[in-house]
Amino acid sequence: MKKLAALALAGLVLVSAALFFPTALAAHDVNECYKNHRDCRENALNMDAPWFKVMLMLTVCDIALGKCALGL
Amino acid sequence: MIMAVLGVPLAVLAAARTMDRPEIRKWKAVEIALPANDADEACLGRPIALALDADHLYIVDAQDGAVKLFSKNGEFLKAVGRKGRGPGELSFPSGVSVIGGRLFVADKFNYRIQAFDRAGEPRGGFPVPFAPDKACVLNGETLLVTSSPTGRTAAEKMLHLYDFGGRLRWEGLEARASSDPVFDAFINMILVFPGEGGEFFVVFRSGERSILRFTASGALVGKIPVDERYAFQPLDLPFRGPKKRLLGFCWAATWDRGLFYISAPAPVEGKDLGPGRLLSVVDRQGRLTASLELPCPVHRFVVEGTRVYAVDDDGGLRIFEVVR
Repeated sequence: MKKLAALALAGLVLVSAALFFPTALAAHDVNECYKNHRDCRENALNMDAPWFKVMLMLTVCDIALGKCALGL
Repeated sequence: MIMAVLGVPLAVLAAARTMDRPEIRKWKAVEIALPANDADEACLGRPIALALDADHLYIVDAQDGAVKLFSKNGEFLKAVGRKGRGPGELSFPSGVSVIGGRLFVADKFNYRIQAFDRAGEPRGGFPVPFAPDKACVLNGETLLVTSSPTGRTAAEKMLHLYDFGGRLRWEGLEARASSDPVFDAFINMILVFPGEGGEFFVVFRSGERSILRFTASGALVGKIPVDERYAFQPLDLPFRGPKKRLLGFCWAATWDRGLFYISAPAPVEGKDLGPGRLLSVVDRQGRLTASLELPCPVHRFVVEGTRVYAVDDDGGLRIFEVVR
């Protein structure tokens, strides 16, 4: 019984991992996310706007990177 | 007795320091009226860099993907480059430098340096493995290119020296790193400008009150401490982790005829820091020698003798004559 429970648990962990971690195709998209993030930061730093606004833009870039990497 | 023994040398030292510091002169600027530039192309969408040569003023317009040429009295002449990814096309140009009628443009989102002749024809260039920020010709064979650190790898270099054929000669000036990438982006914002004989200067826009001096081969040969009378502008921003204070040092800066012209960030819109209207004139030893008050805040500027070419809040070109 214990063996069965352990196997079921292991199976669940594996399925969750497979669902959570990106596939090869998604991994390629993550590279695109990083490229967009880099461009977003460059844009923010060249806004020539007051620094609080630049900080907000840089934070938005980081949030966008997180969303993109998680595929949300 | 002890006080007297200590006091005399201290007083002498203080007097020597005061004598070493010249009085700060007050300079004024008078605006020069520009000719009517009616062409659509003369409009500046997002001017982010300026350069001068003997005859022309060059303004990089990141929005239009072009470098716009003006005469020294502000008359629009033509635009070089257009938006795109092919030869002669630019995607977010962010810096320009000119030598012998040859323009070198930092073509940021095409990850390359592009060269043009003054007629606007593309004359080659080379790819770079980063988004180039500023390009700066140091002498007849060396080009300084800057980059902003991405924060993804350790010890990223921010200065890169190339020859005109695109061969990397030297890289240096490691980005400063903390645990907060947003804070790091601020403390690594730099400005560069060429000096004499191929040397160049680097100024951090915040957190550092020294001007770094490099030779054309990339050797750091001096650190010029700027006069303490030129004050930091502090700004508290909600960065990640422990409370950090940003010490704003300069919004924009340039070098002309042995003098640094530095504009300090100024308080804007309540608690924020933005471009100011006061330029501080600092000599090679870092001493504050004059302050120049402009009629309006300026974002970017270049100086040539008694002329200041600047971009104002609305992205418009303004030309001032300095009255000393």
